[in-house]
Parts: sequence; structure tokens; C-alpha cells
Amino acid sequence: MREGDPLIRWDWLADHIDDIWMLALEHIWLTALAVSIGFAIAFCLSLVIARERRAYPPITAVTGVLYTIPSLALFAILVPFTGLSVLTAEIALVSYTLLILVRNIVAGLDGVPSEVREAADGMGYTPWRRLWSVELPLALPVIIAGLRIATVTTIGLVTVSALIGQGGLGRFIEDGLQRFFPTMYITGAVLSVILAVVADGLFVALLRIATPWSRARAGSG
Amino acid sequence: MSDPSAGTSPAGGAPVRFEHVTKRYEVREKGPGAVNDLTLDIPAGKICVLVGPSGCGKTTSLKMVNRLIEPTSGRILIDGHDISRQDPIALRRGIGYVIQQTGLFPHQNVGDNVAVVPRLLGWDVKRRRERTDELLTLVGLDPARYRNRYPSQLSGGERQRVGVARALAADPPVMLMDEPFGAVDPIVRERLQNEFLRLQEQLAKTILFVTHDIDEAIKMGDLVAVMERGGVLAQFGSPDDILASPASDFVARFVGADRGLKRLSLTRVREVQLIRAVTARPGDSAAEARGRIQADPFPYLLLVDESDRPIGWLDQDEVPATGRLDEQMAIPMSPLLDRRTTLKDALSMMLEADVQAGIVVDRAGRAQGILTVEAIATALRNGGAPEHPLPSGTAHA
Repeated sequence: MREGDPLIRWDWLADHIDDIWMLALEHIWLTALAVSIGFAIAFCLSLVIARERRAYPPITAVTGVLYTIPSLALFAILVPFTGLSVLTAEIALVSYTLLILVRNIVAGLDGVPSEVREAADGMGYTPWRRLWSVELPLALPVIIAGLRIATVTTIGLVTVSALIGQGGLGRFIEDGLQRFFPTMYITGAVLSVILAVVADGLFVALLRIATPWSRARAGSG
Repeated sequence: MSDPSAGTSPAGGAPVRFEHVTKRYEVREKGPGAVNDLTLDIPAGKICVLVGPSGCGKTTSLKMVNRLIEPTSGRILIDGHDISRQDPIALRRGIGYVIQQTGLFPHQNVGDNVAVVPRLLGWDVKRRRERTDELLTLVGLDPARYRNRYPSQLSGGERQRVGVARALAADPPVMLMDEPFGAVDPIVRERLQNEFLRLQEQLAKTILFVTHDIDEAIKMGDLVAVMERGGVLAQFGSPDDILASPASDFVARFVGADRGLKRLSLTRVREVQLIRAVTARPGDSAAEARGRIQADPFPYLLLVDESDRPIGWLDQDEVPATGRLDEQMAIPMSPLLDRRTTLKDALSMMLEADVQAGIVVDRAGRAQGILTVEAIATALRNGGAPEHPLPSGTAHA
């Protein structure tokens, strides 16, 4: 940063609008991929736990250890095997979502009132149908709460993966810091934050649409 | 409305039979209450109440009927068929199930909740909709107002009604009700009980009803099975049997020291021998009336109007020897009792009026006879309610 330069050089932003756009999309893509894969794995693990409760402690122990490994360290461990690739980034990102998602899916299913479950069994629901049409809808608020946290966390972590050549908007932060160019790293940081806020808002909206019953208030007649 | 092709049985009940049913739990296994060699015969169309303290196995017994719990030994027959040979899912879809807190699905509106079993059975939308509306009307909820509400928007009593409607949806011959009115206040409970009994008069389902409340058991049951800890059947019989002659100290304690009083609420005025009143009308000859009342063991003359409606009493010693009877002479008192009044209510009305007798009138208000406190006592001594319609059930102890 040279003496007298403004903090934000708008002309630079205008010149690089295509790059900004591309990196933002990459950021969204890396996040969406990580959260989707993480959710798929966490969902299967949760079904295992729902069937066999004894699986819960070991599963949380393993996902808990994954969660505590510093991201930089994890990238360092993986690079010799998977290189500076999207795969490396995704393995780390997915790992971090698991603990949060498993805990919330299990907590959501646990939160289904036992009399509702009993009523479903007593009326002749098969176990799968009970899961899909009774338990999952009722667990949705807690599951979506988990998705919100996992997504916002992942959007933050994606920036770190810039160190292995991925990173979406994180690349702006990384490059900008190295070149002492505030316009770049501020752009990267601000847009990451905006992404996180928008993603969070989308989940809130999704929850509202998906659970009309929770808006129904008592005493309407 | 009921279409036999969809596999629903026509209205009415099916007999349920427990044959030496036992459910044991391992020492470390935490179960809801064991059951020990339970044999019960529940005729079609009757309400059998399982009652007892917590841990007596009443809920376990209920859940063995829809195979939410499997017995350790023994078998259960519905309509003569051993349920252990039936597919549990299909069996459950054919049995109505109402539980405490109702177990309504919070994420489905009232209409969808009622249509749960029809949906599982694959009924089409139109038929489900018609059935839902029919049932909501049956339980006293206006379909147009309630169909689209969520359970969270209902009062406790409304939820229980929806719970009953849901259990009736596929017109099952057998219904299981586990403390169905437990979660509402006493006034609402009383109303729901009465409505349900009225409904049952038309439906005539075979109902197994679990409660820990002996008063509810006596009120709701055609038959009452009293169970004690360890899942032992202590007594099985009509409510009046159980109150009049408890089979053991346990049953006597469980039904309470006031079982005599409880029997009063089982017996109605029409079941008691009434005293014929000696009646006269204003303007009748006093001498003639005096003669008749002094020849009668009951010492009061009842003055009635032109239509035989009671006006008041006249003590036999105060009936004038000459002249005519006059309305002014009568003491206006005594409660008027309907033939359907329970003895408990009748006694209460007499105590309140501080009199020894009530006048039983028919619908037009015409005097039919006299019910005295003494007659009530006699009725209780002799076993009160006349009919004991139902047999069997072995007490194992």
C-alpha cells in the first residue's frame, strides 16, 4: 500500500468485477459441496445412532477429534496425499461439519415427543414412514439450526483453504495481505461476511416455509 | 359411507380375549410393568376398564393388544383370531388407539391428523376428506372451523376430541384408550366422558380403557379389571360387583372406604323400589283422605294438582277430620327426582332440602312415587343395580 492511496480503490474493483464474481461463486460452490456431503454423511451416521444408541459416543468422539484439529494442520497432513486440490480442501471442510450436524440431527430426532412416536407406531406406521413423515419434519428446526452453524462455519473455513490454492474469496484475502493491498483483502473479507449472512438468512427463510405449524399460534378462535 | 372394499369392518365391536397372558421383564430391563397370567374375556361392544396403581401392568396389557409389546407367554385373540399370527402393522391399522396427551402430530393440521390411518390404508383424497368431516362432526367439532387448525391452536378438550376422531377414522372394531382424558381439567373430563359414553351407545366398539382413577373406571366401564402390582388381576366384574363385593383387601382399599357412596352413583332412581304415595287433590273430602293416609305406613299425604303434579305434603295428623282439603294446608318441599337421577344425586338433593324423601316424577312432572333415604339404604344392602350382564374372567391370586 503506497502512501496516499485510498483504503478502497474503486477503479480496481470495477476492473476486477469478473474475478470477484468468479471467486464468490467458487466460494459458494466449495461451501455447498462441503455442507451437502457433510450432511449426507452426518444423516447416515444419525440414522445409525437412532437405531443403535451405543454408536453415539464413538461417533461423537471421532467427529469431535476431527473438529478439534486446526484447519491449517489438517491441510498440512493431507497435502502429501491429495495435493493442492479441491479434494484436500473438501476433506477438511466436510470433517468440520460432521460434529455439529450429527449432534443436531440426533438432538432433533430425540426432541420428537415420545407420545407422538408412540401414537405413530400404534396407528401402524412402518419405521421408515414414521421417520420420513413424522420424526424428520418435527426435527427440522433443530436440524436446520445445525445447518446454519455448519454453513456459516464452512464459509469462514473456505477462506483458509486459500493456503492450498483453493479458497474462493479467501484468495483475495491471502493475496491482498501478501501485497499489502487493502482493497483486495477487505473485498474478500467483506464479501465472505455477506455470504455468511445471506446463507444464514436463507436457512431462516427455509425453516419458516418448511414449518408452517410453528407459526400457528394458540388461541386463534 | 363405509365401503367394505377398502377393508374396514362395519361399525360395531369384536370380542377380545386374553388367554394366560404373561409379560416378564429381565431384572435389569426397565419395563413399564409386568403382567402375570392375565385371562380376560371382553364381549363385543363393551368397555372394559383396566384400573390399578402405577406398575400394575395395565398399560402393558393394553399395548400387547396392538403388539407394541409382545407377551412372554399366552395369547390374545381378537374376534377369535390369534393376533401373534397377524402382521403387526396391519393389525395396528385396524385398531383405534388413543393415548394421554393424545399424541396428535404437531406438524399436521386437524384434518390430516384425523386422516392418518385412512392415508396409511391408501384411501383417496375425496374419501379421506369426507370421512374426516364426518368424524369431526361426530365428536362435536365443526369441520369448517377446525379442519385446518394445528394442534397447538386447540384447547386440551378439543385435542382429546380430535384424538378420539383419529382413532375412529377407519371404523375399527376395537379401540385402545390409555388415559385418554387424563390431560384435561376435571370439568372438561367429565364432559368428555359423558360425550364419549353417548357416542359409544351408537358405535358399540369393543374398548379397552386404561386409567388409574377408580371413579373414572366405575363410570366408564361395563366391566372393570382391577390390577395390582406385579400385573396380577385382582378382580374382574361389573363396576357394581366390584363396589358391592371386593374380592380382596387390596380391591377394597383400592376402590376406597367410600365404595358404598360410589355405588350410589351407579344406581338410578328407576332401579329402586319406590313407595306408592297416597295422594289427594285440593277440594277432596278431608275425612276420606284422612282415612286413607292413616291406613298407610307412610305418614304423609301428597297433595297433587289436576294433572297429578305435586303441590306439597300434609302430615297425617294435620289432615282435618272434616271439610275439604285446601292447597294452603300443604308444606311445599321435597326435591323432585327424575327416574334417571342417580341415587347419589337424589340423596344429595334430599340432604340439601333437609328432608327424608323425594318425589319421583315423570317427564310431564306427574308424581310417580316416593323415594326415601331408607329405601336407598335398602337398595345398597340388597345389591342395588339389578343387572350383572357379563360373565367370566378369572381372578388369579
